[in-house]
Amino acid sequence: MDFAWSEQQRELLSAVDRFASEQLNYDVIANDRDAVFNHEAWKKCGAFGIQGLPVAEEYGGLAQDPLTTVAALERLGYGCKDNGLLFSINAHMWTAIIPLFYNGTEAQKKKFLPGLCNGSLIGGNAMSEPNSGSDAFRLATTAAKKGAKYILNGSKIFVTNGPIADVILVFAATDKAKGASGISAFLVEKGAPGLDVSRKIQKMGVRTSPMAEVFFTDCEVPEENLLGKEGAGSWLFTRSMTWERGCILASAVGTMQRLLETCIRYANERKQGGQSIGKFQLVATKIVDMKLRVESARHMLYHCAWAAGHRKAVYLEAAMAKLHISDCWVKCCEDAIQIHGGYGYMVEYEVERELRDAIGSKLYSGTSEIQRNIIASLLGL
Amino acid sequence: MKILVAFKSVPDPYAGPGDSASKSVINPFDEIAIEEALRIRERSEATEIVGITIGAPAVDEQIRAALAMGVDRAIRIDDARALDPYAVARILRALVAKETPQVVLMGKQAVDDDSNQVGQMLAGLLGWPQATFISKIEFLDNKTRARCTRETDGGLEVIAINLPAVVTTDLRLNEPRYVSLPGLMKARKKPIEVLTCDQLGVTVQPLTTTLSTSRPPKRSAGTRVESIEELIVKLRQEAKVL
Repeated sequence: MDFAWSEQQRELLSAVDRFASEQLNYDVIANDRDAVFNHEAWKKCGAFGIQGLPVAEEYGGLAQDPLTTVAALERLGYGCKDNGLLFSINAHMWTAIIPLFYNGTEAQKKKFLPGLCNGSLIGGNAMSEPNSGSDAFRLATTAAKKGAKYILNGSKIFVTNGPIADVILVFAATDKAKGASGISAFLVEKGAPGLDVSRKIQKMGVRTSPMAEVFFTDCEVPEENLLGKEGAGSWLFTRSMTWERGCILASAVGTMQRLLETCIRYANERKQGGQSIGKFQLVATKIVDMKLRVESARHMLYHCAWAAGHRKAVYLEAAMAKLHISDCWVKCCEDAIQIHGGYGYMVEYEVERELRDAIGSKLYSGTSEIQRNIIASLLGL
Repeated sequence: MKILVAFKSVPDPYAGPGDSASKSVINPFDEIAIEEALRIRERSEATEIVGITIGAPAVDEQIRAALAMGVDRAIRIDDARALDPYAVARILRALVAKETPQVVLMGKQAVDDDSNQVGQMLAGLLGWPQATFISKIEFLDNKTRARCTRETDGGLEVIAINLPAVVTTDLRLNEPRYVSLPGLMKARKKPIEVLTCDQLGVTVQPLTTTLSTSRPPKRSAGTRVESIEELIVKLRQEAKVL
């Protein structure tokens, strides 16, 4: 494993650093309060090249390997304080772009990928249902072939980017009797007849990332929008979920690094009892633990991405990275509030928001409990 | 139409006291010149933009930034000396003879030495018209002339100049674009030509010599006065301003 950056990687990463800190941090407090998505920042990210990082150049991407991609997203998280924007970008990249890029037909890739990469299109993914979350493949949503179309019926919940998505990757049962092997994936476009997107669902954190419930009532999807073969949905979902688990918290590692630096600065500046609070061992210990968490999280992230880039199966690494980084992130945020004392609890210090934004990471892309189940089963338990 | 855009690498003017002192950037006024050249090309009024700079290999970082913005190719004059404006103007004159552009664009001054001389000297050496401190440029008569708005102390001055010409840019001309990742990737494939003053046939002899540099004297702390009467006495007797 070699995590020493080449000159080209360094150049790319420092460009991301500058972009993220200078171009994306405006109205974050107000947008969080009002649950507003920053569409302009999304477009800036697209034009800058973020969304297309892992996609081949012929489809408008930058053809970066997984390690460079996660390192770039880590820098994005370091500079950008809008975790909801980052969450929307991550959902878009890992649950819409990646399945399309790896499983799409040439026509599907040509139609959707350039727009999804350059920021003009927004992607989403609809898997969870009111009665199917961790038990992912027991789907009530069905798709029946009728002529040159599929007819979808059912509903999906927790659809990230749902209210703003131009295309949503929807998983539905084409053959219920076959269970997981009877699930297929469809690219459902905005405005499809019979598609209804609910109002925004209000959330505890990542409030700037819009989420919706999506309903299908005899929703018509042209057959050319079937992604992969009929019945390949669960395989496709598992494959993209591995990407998602391995990469979705890359930006969180950058966020943790920023929080660590914020805490060090504050602990040096804030004086109590005639000395910097950083001189108190109880505060210093917290900061040391934060440092250990950031470093270990970064290593798990890089190791998983490195292995993925060397065409190794990373089910175990991705589950471990997801579990560990989300734990570290939440704990880092708690410590950051504690170090800032009462100020850390105040909205304008922008520390409390980090905790609200972090907590969801133990739930999405498989709860921490599901990650532990996966790891246990891969250990032969 | 070919545009030659000259830029200088300067210490980052926005670097904070804690940042490493070695970080360099494209002189902000020159960045505006680069942006304007790109906009002229995007209006299909220019076909090629050649970036030129002078410096050691370390300035290649700023060259790549210019190429990433969209400059087509670049020439670096390999010379690490601190050259005075006249030397720079003579080097640029030789490059103009080599490249035969219709317009030479550059910032009105560099933020490190604030000389504000190179553009004017280059125009003088070439015998070309010049438009300095411009905040707007339009091409006229099948690109044989340009109408430029200049920012002067007294207000805006609009002049028309014949091409070829030297044009220097002021702050309000445009806001330079951000270097994007696709731009950076494309920049890696663009050529950087390295030349020396000898190869250009320019002998550089500085006309100025820096004798010494010194910091401004440190200001001593102020004093508090107890009353307006005391203030007036001090202003009269000590400061002698009343």
